[in-house]
Amino acid sequence: MSDREQPDDRVRLAVDEDRCIGIGQCELLEPGVFRLGDEDAISRVVDDTGLPRARADEVVDRCPSAAISIVGPSRA
Amino acid sequence: MVEAIVQKRPASPADIASPAVYSDGIPHEGFAAIRGCEGLVWHPYEDNGFWAVTRHAEVREVSKNPDVFSSAIGHTNLWDLEADALEARRSLIDSDAPDHARLRRVVSRVFTPRAARSWERTARDIAAELVDEFLKRGGGDWVELVAAPLPIRVILAILGVPAEDADYMVELTNHLVEGTGDRPSLPDDAYGNVTPVHLLPFNSPASHALFEYGERMRQLRIAEPADDLVTGLVTAEADGERLTPSEYRNFFQLLVFAGNETTRTAIAHGGMALADHPDQWNLLRQRSDLVEQAVDEVIRWATPVMHMRRTTACDTVLAGTQIAEGEKVVMWYAAANRDPAVFDAPFRFDVSRADNPHFAFGGGGPHFCLGAFLARMEIQVLLEEMAKSDMSLERRGEPVRIASNFVHGVASVELGAA
Repeated sequence: MSDREQPDDRVRLAVDEDRCIGIGQCELLEPGVFRLGDEDAISRVVDDTGLPRARADEVVDRCPSAAISIVGPSRA
Repeated sequence: MVEAIVQKRPASPADIASPAVYSDGIPHEGFAAIRGCEGLVWHPYEDNGFWAVTRHAEVREVSKNPDVFSSAIGHTNLWDLEADALEARRSLIDSDAPDHARLRRVVSRVFTPRAARSWERTARDIAAELVDEFLKRGGGDWVELVAAPLPIRVILAILGVPAEDADYMVELTNHLVEGTGDRPSLPDDAYGNVTPVHLLPFNSPASHALFEYGERMRQLRIAEPADDLVTGLVTAEADGERLTPSEYRNFFQLLVFAGNETTRTAIAHGGMALADHPDQWNLLRQRSDLVEQAVDEVIRWATPVMHMRRTTACDTVLAGTQIAEGEKVVMWYAAANRDPAVFDAPFRFDVSRADNPHFAFGGGGPHFCLGAFLARMEIQVLLEEMAKSDMSLERRGEPVRIASNFVHGVASVELGAA
């Protein structure tokens, strides 16, 4: 983490669809950011404005199949 | 060299594997003694043994590293199985990537948080009816009257199994749990079984009966598809392939068992805990905003499934302890859920517990309980219907426990209600 990156910076997240097994922990934690497909139950990012860094870390950690990663700073 | 390593294995200070030590409940003192040891301890079991993982941090580490701690090498129960038995019993629980992901995707759509919520009306109607009947009787066997019927009726509705077969399904899954205790209650040929019992889940002829029942359901739905999960399983294409007959029947068996037995156990302990802690029940009755926290506290308190086993796919190190490839590593959720390093006053039943990262649904890896959101929803609507009825609860004696090291089962417990 560089000096100008603070824990409350917003970051963007991505779902690896090959790793996602449709548990839904992400949608439960952040329903505005993630949505599981009605047919395939694969999680997709529906709002790309990102999350505060600490919350993003928690969402990444809580994904049981390690399918979520932080892809970079929020553009918002 | 191998002998030198074996000799260095620190021995477990307590027996946590014999079903008999569970006859009065979870052996928490034994778990505390093991948790207090440096590194891991080696616990004897049958001809060999396992590494006992009892701290929250290490249960998490094992769960989150399925490439090292395999579910498919061996299986996820304590005992060893021959190769033919392993193959015959292979299910979602006993598989690794990529099979695990393939099988899970067949059913994941039905068990997402939103999908679970879609069954709320069904579950609430059942819960209201059961609570009403329990109150009218002034109480009774909480397991028979409330804890058992609610989850079995919900999972059967989801599967598409007729509600009138609920008692038969409860009977069969009761026998499966007995398969993890000291005294199997059935002869090997019960229910017309001719399969060697070592090839059956839980070594139980009741698994044969569940397979037969599942097969009849499969035939019915092939002939006439319906809007239910059995139809989904029968027609599902996982990565372009149908489930094999063996995968289907193991899935059916797993869903009936796990969708019923585990939530029943949580509700059984939840009812007892609320009767034993009237301050907590009064608080919950007054504070409906606490219900979600209360649900997770009931689940932590109950920890219906007390352990899962993994087997190392390679040499590794856990908690500073060297583990060789092919050794058993057993995650004791029952211990992790009372770990004082994570839970403030872990032996206090606290419906307002805000920080409650319990592992009753597993330690946060890919085998995270498929039915977690369904179970949470069922317990929530039950607590809400109980609060709405404004019932008071009291204990009328000790529970009849199931002496199993796997399911924290309660066969019956008398509660009074007014």
